This record gives sequence, structure tokens and C-alpha cells, in this order.
Amino acid sequence: MSTSAPASRSVRDALYEAPGPRTRRRVRIATAISLILVVAALAAIGYRFYITGQFAPRYWTFFAKATTWKFLLQGFAGTVRVALTAGAIALALGLLLMLGRISHVKALSTVCRIVTDFFRSLPSLLLIYFFFLIVPQYGIKMSSFWMLTLPVALAASGVLAEVFRAGVNAVPKGQVEAALSLGMSPLRTTFKIVLPQAIRFVIPSLISQLVVVVKDTTVAYVVSYPDLMQNARVLITNYDALVSVYFTIAIIYILINYAINQASIYVSHRLGVKIIR
Amino acid sequence: MTDATTQQPLIELKHVDKHFGSLHVLRDINLSIVPGEVVVVIGPSGSGKSTLCRAINRLETIDSGEILIDGKPLPQEGRELAAMRAELGMVFQQFNLFSHMTVLENVMLAPTDVLGLSREEARGRAMSLLERVGVAEQAEKVPAQISGGQQQRVAIARALAMHPRAMLFDEPTSALDPEMINEVLEVMIGLARQGMTMVVVTHEMNFARRVADRVVFMADGAIVEEGAPDAFFDHPQTQRARDFLDSIKNH
Amino acid sequence: MGLTELLSLYGQNYLQALLTTWLMTIESFALVMIIAVGITVMRVSPMRPLRVAGDLYVQVFRNIPGVALLIIVVYALPSLRVVLDYRVCVVVTTVLLGSAFGSENFMSGINTVSAGQIEAARALGLSFSKILRRIVIPQALRSCVLPMTNLLIAVMLTTALGSQVPLNPTELTGVVSYVNTRVTGGILAFLISAIGYAGTALVIGAVGNRIDKKVRIYR
Repeated sequence: MSTSAPASRSVRDALYEAPGPRTRRRVRIATAISLILVVAALAAIGYRFYITGQFAPRYWTFFAKATTWKFLLQGFAGTVRVALTAGAIALALGLLLMLGRISHVKALSTVCRIVTDFFRSLPSLLLIYFFFLIVPQYGIKMSSFWMLTLPVALAASGVLAEVFRAGVNAVPKGQVEAALSLGMSPLRTTFKIVLPQAIRFVIPSLISQLVVVVKDTTVAYVVSYPDLMQNARVLITNYDALVSVYFTIAIIYILINYAINQASIYVSHRLGVKIIR
Repeated sequence: MTDATTQQPLIELKHVDKHFGSLHVLRDINLSIVPGEVVVVIGPSGSGKSTLCRAINRLETIDSGEILIDGKPLPQEGRELAAMRAELGMVFQQFNLFSHMTVLENVMLAPTDVLGLSREEARGRAMSLLERVGVAEQAEKVPAQISGGQQQRVAIARALAMHPRAMLFDEPTSALDPEMINEVLEVMIGLARQGMTMVVVTHEMNFARRVADRVVFMADGAIVEEGAPDAFFDHPQTQRARDFLDSIKNH
Repeated sequence: MGLTELLSLYGQNYLQALLTTWLMTIESFALVMIIAVGITVMRVSPMRPLRVAGDLYVQVFRNIPGVALLIIVVYALPSLRVVLDYRVCVVVTTVLLGSAFGSENFMSGINTVSAGQIEAARALGLSFSKILRRIVIPQALRSCVLPMTNLLIAVMLTTALGSQVPLNPTELTGVVSYVNTRVTGGILAFLISAIGYAGTALVIGAVGNRIDKKVRIYR
């Protein structure tokens, strides 16, 4: 092979060939116009804020107070607690569901498939209502932490089971055959050969699934658990500053989740594996 | 090829230079190809021969110099460029058949969409070309269902369906399993016999010796030596060419 | 409370809730597709400001929690003098979230098209718009079927945000809370809604799989 051209460009670039002078001029003009449009759109949004008085200092000065951030940080700690606990439970449950599903015991495999698909096809809000409204009807008392964490964990476990299964499917068949031909038992093959590789394949995907968990924790206010969102609501009542607080909180969530996604991409590059969604 | 010196060249490169970043991939390339001529470009990996081939229909841009098709400068964009490309057939190393279309649809696409042929006309033209390259039975299959050699023959038929004035081959057999190389070369030899103007970048030395009117040897982005195949292969003039020919003889 | 009693009292509510969920899902998904196409066009355009704006849109709406966005739409927009009906608020939120993921699906669909095939089309003399219409878009759409099927299910699940605002009639999640504030519905009150979601998802998934089998491109 003597191809010296830069081989792998993204299709986004491959769509266009190197422009000639006329095309270059047209793209330059269109770029200028589009820049004006984008700036105008942003300005229009900014103007909305301005004419409705949302830039008034009283909506923003409290963000300079340490107590504000300390309070938000407490909320954030709550978010982290729920997200990590729910994530850990979902990991264990997802792995069990997947192992059950790939097992050769037909009944177990069917049950695990149904459970997986069931949890995957329910909105997490419905699961929250289940723990918040239904479970207490049977005399079971739960703290608000668990009323939030369990539904978030259950919703994620179905998805994680599928992620794990994709990882197992990505392990080359030859590996299993080789292990079996060496006289390893099927169970030992699964745990010693297949799972370690499968987990390596899915680490980036597992990280990116954390985004879903973090998003799901924001319904904490339903059960009055003090997470970032709930504490933001308290701030709003204190300072009567709805728009500024909600936008700030939204940006914080976006940045957290963006960071998680970037971490997942970084790890996937480091491990040389793809992110399964 | 006595008239080669007097005829107007179909493809002409004058002082063509190109860089990929700091890499000088084409150095002052001068080459002219007359109608009916078969020029085979050989050289070690990274010598710039693929880039040269791709520059002729502007799949690669050049930094300086001139490329003339039929005496006219290669258009840089738009309809004029598309029209020029329609007249030059191109065959790629990786076949590049459209994977969502059947073999027949692959060959019919450009005649209907670019030349404006009716579907019946295009189908007739496509079927006779598929017949000619020996894959007519596969017409209704999709590319993934046929072998690499068959795919490359379909790719040749797809290019021929435009009734091109010249054909560019960019390492057409390099991605093929050894047992499939000959079926593709046979088709190319047939084309050459019928008087098609061809530029062929290849590692197939036997093909070059048998079919080429002229062999062009490139190294480090420059044309080091060119000449009639027998003269070149039997009495290479430069040390670079001798080294290259020795290195492939050892294989 | 037994199933018959629950259904005789609230069967009508559940049925209406199911229909509301379906309707909001269909409306939202149609808008999701339209906006996702627009955002994707921006992101693959040669104009950098549009690319940046499109990428930003996707990053914002695929990372913002649905509840946070809903609250902004419902409570913050009126402060900016944009007042929407509650049902519209839910659909707008769902569409903003869904279209970010829809655009991601389209982008990865476009990325499945090989650069070599685009070059081949170019070498045959096809114009840019012909290359898009005959090569890029058909291949991208065919490889989008499964991701878009999953997105349709995700859109349905997102409409459960409707339970957080007063809707009349309410949707499939809100109805669980509606019923339970009136009677002790027990696990059945939850299961009826759950089966509504799971059953719908099952059907969508099956249809999506069938379409995918028909149009899938073998490489």
C-alpha cells in the first residue's frame, strides 16, 4: 500500500472536497451571515433577560456569598451520594441480570430477560412513585434517601444489564472455544475469560451511563431529599430569584454531565474500546 | 507509438507540486499521456504515485503547477469539475461500491443521474458491461454478497458505464486476495487492447511489462525514470530504479 | 383494592392516560425528527458558527436533566414573559431533549457512510446534492432505524415529565399519583401504568426490528 493521503477523516469533512476559489468565497460569505444570525439569536435571548429585569443585581449578588455555594455544595454532596449508591446497586444488579440472561437455565434466562426489558421500558418517575406512593401502603417505611436511590438504581440496572451483555457479545468466540478446549468448565470460562474482557470493553459505556443516573437523581424533590436541585429550590424561596438560580443550576448539571461524558470518551481512547449506548 | 510525440496529449501535468504538511509528496511532476496510451506508474510505498493518480481528477488538490485535460486546465469546482470527472473513469484500491445498492444499481446510478439516460438505456448499458467483466449473474446482489475480485470488476464496469475518455486505476489489485488478482487484471488487459487510455498505479510488474506503453517510476514524490517497459525492466538507468526492481525480485 | 374494583373506578382514567401518553409521544417524536434534521444540517454545514451552535445545542440538551429543563420551561420562562400551556411545556421539554439525541443518531448514521464511497460518487461526476441524496442520506437513514426506535421509546418515557405539572387529562405516570391520592391503589395501581409503558415499548421495539431487518445495509 502506498497511500500517503491522510486516511481516516470524519465523514463530516469527507462530505466536502477541498473548495475552489468560488466555493471558498461563497462559504466565507455564508459563514459571515451565519455568524450574524447566531449572534443575533443570542442577543435576542440576552435582550429578553434584560427587558424582564433578570440582570438586576439582586438576582445575582447572592452568588457571591460563600453561604450560597456552601448550601449548594451540601446539595451536590447529596446528589453524589445518591448517584454513587444507585450506580453501585445498578452495577451489581445489572451484572446479575445479565449473567442470568446468558445462563443456560432456560427459566432463569427468560425471567432475567423480562425483568431487564421491564425496567428498561419504565420512566424513572414511575418507579419513584412506586417507592414513594405504593410501597408505604404495605407498611414499609423507607427514608427519603432510599425512596430516591432504589428507583434510580432499578431504572439503571436494566440498561446496564444490556451494556454488560453487549460487552460479553464483543468477546471473540474463539476465546471461549480455546478455554473450553483447554478443559476449563463453562462456569470457569465465563468468570475467568469472558467477564474480565467484557468488563474492560464496557468501562467507558458504564461511565457514560452515570449521566443517566445523575439526571434521574434530580427528581429528589418528589421525596424531599436534599440534593442539588432541592437545595436550589430553597435558595429560590430565600432570595426570590427563580430565573438566575435555575439557569445556574442547569449549567452546573450540564457541566457535570459533560465532564462525565468526556471522561468516558477519554477512557475509551485509553482502552481502545468503543462506547456502547 | 510513433505518433505519441505529435498528438495532443489527453492528460498533461506540468510542474505539479504538492505537500502534505511538511511532506513533499509531489515534486515537479511533468507527464503527458496521449489518447490510447497505457501508462503504468510504479514505485515504492509513499512515493506519491497514488496522490499523482488522484490529482488527475482533483480528488487531491495540488499546490502549484498545472493539470490539463485535453489541453484545458482541470476545473477547480462546480459543474465544470463534475463534467470533467464524468469523462475520467476511476477505480479505487478499496472498490468503494455503494453498499446500499445492488450491483446493477451501482452501475446504473451515474448514467441516469449524471448523463440523464433513461432507466432502460442505463440498464441495457449496465448489463452489457457486467457481461463484459463477467459478473452479470451477480447483478441483483449487493456488494457485501460478492467477492473482492467481483466487486472490483463491478467497480470497473461502473466507471466504464460513463463511456470515459480515460481510466485511472489507483492500485486496483492491492486489496485483493492473490487468487482474485488475475480476474481483475484480465479485464484491464482487455480494456487496454481495445485502445482505452489508462493510467495504472500498481505493484503488478508482469502486468506493466505486458500491457504498458510506458512505465513511469516514482520515488520520494518525483518521477525518477520513465521509458518503454522492456527497456525499463531490463536496463534501468538509475540506481533508485535498480534497487527497487531488485527489492521486488527477491520476493 | 382488587383489579376489578380499581378498573371499574379508574379504568377510564388509565385509558385516557395511556392515550395521552401515546399522543404526546407521537407529537413530540414528529417534532424531534424535524428539529433533529435541522440541527444535524447545521452541524454538518461548512459554516463554522452553525457547526458550533449545533454542537452546543446538542451538548446542552443531552446533558441537562429533564426535570431541570421542565422546571425552567414551566417556571422560568414566564419570568421572561414566555407563558406556555402546561401540556405544551411538557412537549417542548421532551422535544428539546429528544432532538439532541436524534441529531446524535443522525450524525452517527452519517458517519457509517464510508469516505471512499463519497469519493467514488464524486469521481463519477455526481454533484454535491446528488451525492447527499443518492449516497449519504439513504445510507445514513437506513443505519438510523434501531437508534431511532430506541429514541422513540425514550421520548415516550420522557413524556412522564407530564406527571410533574397539572395536566388534564393526565398521562400514564401522573395517573398513578392521581389514583393514589384518592384510594389505596396498591401495587396494581402501579402495574397498570407499567404495563402500558412496557407493552408500548415492546410493540415499538418489534416494529423497529422488523424495519431494520428489511433496510439494513450489509457491509
